[in-house]
Amino acid sequence: MLRIDDLVVRYGAAVALDGVSLHLEAGEMVALVGPNGAGKSTLLNAVSGLVPPASGSVTCEGRIAQVPEGRQMFPDMTVEDNLVLGGWSVRNRDLGEVLDLLPDLVRLRKLKAGRLSGGQQQMVAIGRALMAKPDLLAIDELSLGLAPLVVAELAEHLRFLNSERGTAILLVEQEVSLAFELCPRTCVLEAGRVVAAGPSAELAESEAVRRAYFGDLGVSDELMAGFAGTEVHS
Amino acid sequence: MTRRPSTLLVAVAAVAACLAPLVLSDQTFFVHTVLAAIIVTGLSMLMGYAGQASLGQGAFVAVGALTVTLGTTRWGLPPLVALLLAPLAAGLFATVVGRPLLRLQGHYLAFGTLALLLMVQTAMSSIDALGGAYGVSGIPAFGIGGWTVTDQRPYAYLALICLAVVLWSSARIVDSRFGRSMRALSGSETAAESAGIAVGWTKVGVFALSAAFAGVAGAVTAFFTPYVSADSFPPLESFTYVIMAVVGGLGTIWGGVVGAVVVSVLLQVLNNVSSQPGLPPTAAPIIQYAAYGTVLIIALLFLPRGIVPSVGSLHLRRRQAATA
Amino acid sequence: MKDFLTYLVTGITLGASFALIGSGFVVVHRVTRIVNFAQGSFAIIATMLSASLLRGRLPHGLAEAAAVLVCGVVGAGVGWVALGRRGTHPLISLIVTLGLSILASAVIILLWGQDPVSPPGLHGHVTLLGVEVERQRLLVLVITLLAFAALALFFSRTYLGKALTASASNPYAARLVGIDVRRMGLLAFALAGILGGLAGVLVAPSNALSFSSDLALALSGFAAAVFGGLSSPGRTLVGGLLLGVAGQLTAGYLNGSYQTTVALLLMLLIMIARSRTFVAEEAK
Repeated sequence: MLRIDDLVVRYGAAVALDGVSLHLEAGEMVALVGPNGAGKSTLLNAVSGLVPPASGSVTCEGRIAQVPEGRQMFPDMTVEDNLVLGGWSVRNRDLGEVLDLLPDLVRLRKLKAGRLSGGQQQMVAIGRALMAKPDLLAIDELSLGLAPLVVAELAEHLRFLNSERGTAILLVEQEVSLAFELCPRTCVLEAGRVVAAGPSAELAESEAVRRAYFGDLGVSDELMAGFAGTEVHS
Repeated sequence: MTRRPSTLLVAVAAVAACLAPLVLSDQTFFVHTVLAAIIVTGLSMLMGYAGQASLGQGAFVAVGALTVTLGTTRWGLPPLVALLLAPLAAGLFATVVGRPLLRLQGHYLAFGTLALLLMVQTAMSSIDALGGAYGVSGIPAFGIGGWTVTDQRPYAYLALICLAVVLWSSARIVDSRFGRSMRALSGSETAAESAGIAVGWTKVGVFALSAAFAGVAGAVTAFFTPYVSADSFPPLESFTYVIMAVVGGLGTIWGGVVGAVVVSVLLQVLNNVSSQPGLPPTAAPIIQYAAYGTVLIIALLFLPRGIVPSVGSLHLRRRQAATA
Repeated sequence: MKDFLTYLVTGITLGASFALIGSGFVVVHRVTRIVNFAQGSFAIIATMLSASLLRGRLPHGLAEAAAVLVCGVVGAGVGWVALGRRGTHPLISLIVTLGLSILASAVIILLWGQDPVSPPGLHGHVTLLGVEVERQRLLVLVITLLAFAALALFFSRTYLGKALTASASNPYAARLVGIDVRRMGLLAFALAGILGGLAGVLVAPSNALSFSSDLALALSGFAAAVFGGLSSPGRTLVGGLLLGVAGQLTAGYLNGSYQTTVALLLMLLIMIARSRTFVAEEAK
């Protein structure tokens, strides 16, 4: 469904993405991990059409909606208005479906988005993206600044979305364990290039990931074993 | 700070400027251009460093002019003393109103300074001591000691001397510790604050400095014209200073001179063109306004950094290309 | 007492026109963060155009409406130039609109000359609270109130209005949900053109306007908008009315020439008093 072929993106003279290729099938859940500055957000923005490619291509046979890093609410507008605006590109003002999927939003409807907690805002951001009736949900840093319990709840919602609605998910995540746990397939990005890609379970044990992530920190084998032993949902 | 223009260029310009009054029969255009350069040098510093737009710089020109007017006609001050007092008065005025006014940012400050100008104008036209409805004439000619100026030409040189002083002061100030604070301010206010710079006082300082320069120009105008009234400082004049500052290049030492000369010459040419016998009488203001407006818009959208920095970077790029 | 009421009533009707121009500032600033210096020029252009159309035998109401709509187009044009290229700083845009207002003066003189124009409006008086009020001035008040009500409904209830607000609130997120932020900016300017033009055709029958009146109009409007922090139409209305009344009271009890000064002082005081809130808003 989503094909990224040899994508090159530049910011002025700096090369943010240097020939990235990635394929995603309908209904798949793929994670994108890598250190800071690897180009994960840039890749997501290129996929969403916010950043033009210098060369290479991004083709998608369906609609993409992004859940941006840091939630990016319309702070002085109500949750309801935030959601309604999410459907702007498809002129969808009907909140019914989204509220069914994310029932917690019902009691938050009339509140100003700027006053919500991080977790609540993240839910609004997801709901807002869903209003566009996307085939692919591109999520940038789901867990950023959120408590583990909140993240777990959000992850549940995403799993439900994927299994019940068949919505594909491309998840950019700093929190590697979350990425591996949620998505069966992972792609590792470093300095604008894909250094590893494949089933999450395999990557959890690989050298490339350790290098990309932990560098010379010398993480203990026990910790790595912990990753390898993570359950993977299909 | 941008690169300094070559010393040769400056020397040539200086010689030309000194010779010009000898060649011209009427000094009015020359004096006005030089005085505008003085005002705009200060304004360019304010807009370039403190990053604030002042749409009412004429207020400080007025204060300078009034200092000379009141000083010589009412308080019997010798002309030189009045002239030296003018920038001090203007700077003091700016410091007093600047403290509250500069808490405004961006467009609020722009309108605030415009409001200040209008209030000064109103004060001048309502208070008889400041001119009232008819303004003040009969300002004595400038003079030092026993010698008094009898014709226009010495004013041209007086203006040039003031400009030289202003340019020299600007250069020294920019290189000083205060100048470093100013430059830090133009980057980011929050960053400057965390570096320990007193942002508030630095802004007031630049404001007062630009006002002092404007005050000098106002003082010379008062002697030269020699008539001062509320109508001597219309808003359009203050807008023109902004145009000159933008065209010349904000935050540069020579931007004021370049901008003032370019815009003044342009407007004078258009003025001559529009008062040709064949054209209707309304052609003049149309062409004038159209020129003002278009120059400003084009300068801002295509040459946002102004002539001096643009030429400077062009030069730099050519140098880099040559050495690459 | 009768004097006080007269000043109050005339002040309110005068203030309504300030508020109308102020609303133009608010609409543009809400969406683009730009302060449109040419706001006053819209009023003059509409006045001149409507006067010409009336002379050309176009009926009342239609002439004014046509003039106002043309101003909407002019507004969009101003916006197109002022918005400039991506990443133009709002302060640069402010000075660009200053340039455009000067250019507008040139166009106005070119098309209509330098003389002040006062097209015919409603004739006659009405008695309100024991005070005689010109019908035209009352019309200004009524239409202003209607315009503000329409604006409020537009921003809070309509999809397009919400999209406009969103563009101001978070341009990045707006782009993300597919809102064309630049087009929203142009729309805001067009709306400001209509509001400014409306103010012009309403005020001109009572107070003749010429090419040089745009500065005074813009300043009064801006002062009213400052009350609302350049973002709240409701408070702009209140601000405009307060300024109008304060001005009339000054003219009546003190001196007419201090009218502008009082208005300007009030504006400055409010801006300075609210300066910390302003900074917070800009930072968002």
